[in-house]
Amino acid sequence: MRLLLLMFAFCLTLPAHAELRYTLQPRQIADDVWLLEGSTDNFDKANGGNIVNTGFIVTAAGVVVIDSGPSRRYGEAMRAAIASVTDRPVIKLLLTHHHPDHVLGNQAFADVPIAALAGTTELLREQGNAMAENMYRLVGDWMRGTEVVLPSETLAPGTLEIGGRSLRLLALRGHTGADLAILDERSGVLFAGDILFYQRALTTPNSPGLDVWLEDLDTLEALPWKRLVAGHGPVADDAAPFVQMRDYLGWLDGLLRDAASGGADMNEVIQSPIPERFAGISLTRYELIRSVSHLYPRYEAMALQRVDE
Amino acid sequence: MSVRVLLLLMVFHAPSALAAEADPLQSVMWEYHHKGLLNSEPYVFDERVKVQVPPFAEDSRQVPVHIDARALGDEVVRIEAWADPNPIPRIFTFTPGEQVVPLVAIRIRVEQATPIRAAVLTRDGVWHIGSAKVDAAGGGCTAPSVVRAQPGWEDRLGEVIGGRFARGDFSRLRLQVSHPMDNGLVGGIPEFFLNQAELRDADGQVLAELELYPAVAENPSLSLEVKGAQDTRLWLRDNNGNEFEAAL
Ligand SMILES: [Zn+2]
Repeated sequence: MRLLLLMFAFCLTLPAHAELRYTLQPRQIADDVWLLEGSTDNFDKANGGNIVNTGFIVTAAGVVVIDSGPSRRYGEAMRAAIASVTDRPVIKLLLTHHHPDHVLGNQAFADVPIAALAGTTELLREQGNAMAENMYRLVGDWMRGTEVVLPSETLAPGTLEIGGRSLRLLALRGHTGADLAILDERSGVLFAGDILFYQRALTTPNSPGLDVWLEDLDTLEALPWKRLVAGHGPVADDAAPFVQMRDYLGWLDGLLRDAASGGADMNEVIQSPIPERFAGISLTRYELIRSVSHLYPRYEAMALQRVDE
Repeated sequence: MSVRVLLLLMVFHAPSALAAEADPLQSVMWEYHHKGLLNSEPYVFDERVKVQVPPFAEDSRQVPVHIDARALGDEVVRIEAWADPNPIPRIFTFTPGEQVVPLVAIRIRVEQATPIRAAVLTRDGVWHIGSAKVDAAGGGCTAPSVVRAQPGWEDRLGEVIGGRFARGDFSRLRLQVSHPMDNGLVGGIPEFFLNQAELRDADGQVLAELELYPAVAENPSLSLEVKGAQDTRLWLRDNNGNEFEAAL
């Protein structure tokens, strides 16, 4: 009986012991510019969706935060991580785009303006609840208490002067139709959002087209950046992420085009060989399966003609 | 070898030896559909019937299914396809004539993770069963119509885009028909779907018959293969009696 009670007590206390905790270690990547680097894995119950890069810039007026992670719990851990390196208050959150891993932690920033492109707010309004639901399914308990919060401020492209720093804001479209990139002009750090994936396969659920995305890469690469922060993957000081993105997007575009003009069915396309040179990129097969679902119908429509009479 | 390993091996070996015809996917629905769709007729699970699906459904409303019974050659009489636990399990019934290859690619809706089955009846009266499993967050059968949300969809009803692609000695015919394929499960909209198709030659002779069920996705996509390079026509009818025709 005593043993039984003990076991019972153990079961009761288990959830407290198994407290889910994000380990967020801010890394300084330039003067007053900090990065919280996520893994290049897929969402799962072990990582709580910490597969994304977020960051913050400490200005004279306070801290400007870039993306808020996948969950309320992440957002709260992020606030604590910020407080561990600066006493300055958080004054603004910038969201690069509406995808759940970048925005759903924004509840923890409800006390400051949450700013995004108009298109991002619109997409979040349309798709936020479904995306949050999907995140609960993928990472489970990490999401507890997470709800969609819409941005409170609309960003326009141009220069945001804040706390003595100039942040150049670019409105791009290739990844979701509303993609913000942020260049900190003083340090040359470019927060590219998900216009850049590096060593992690890019995702296409809302892409208006791979050609649009390729144009965005030209726009970004032409900026006076010194250090690149991709939405997913390691920091780079050279153009390697651009080279990899162009190579990968070009391959994907060509694969889908050739498959459609050869009359291939979706199941044939998802089994296509993935070139050896992409072996270092994580999740290529998984994302190919997804991208075929997102994009192949458009390539098919281009390869087929009206035949009804 | 330790006793424990030995025991483990026995546990794993016993069932596979006992039940050669057990459902490889162990679906609780197998017997139900064997009775309902195959009339309890003789069957074998047969790897020559290839069913291809993605490992997971990125879009539960448009899940590609590729069924290939070419390894059974000219013995094929009919192919029945279904998704075990779907509210509307049946996908199609395909009866290819001599000039048509026993291969169908189509897209379907799934309501949850599901086995996809292709039962291929050969001339000796035996059903050869191929299976594959697709994981899904689900809800594809009860999701609101994408077609009906597009203004002017009625004007495009029955429009067909298609193409013919050389595949060695065969021609692959691919087409997509504009149709909402309402399955009667969404928003009080009654069933309205393409339920009958025939592939015909230039003289109107039927080369293959295809019955469709409303598990088939909106704006149905279809691939078939015919022998040789002869002209073909596809005739379609929906359950409201609308008829459509396309030349391929
Ligand atoms: Zn994204």
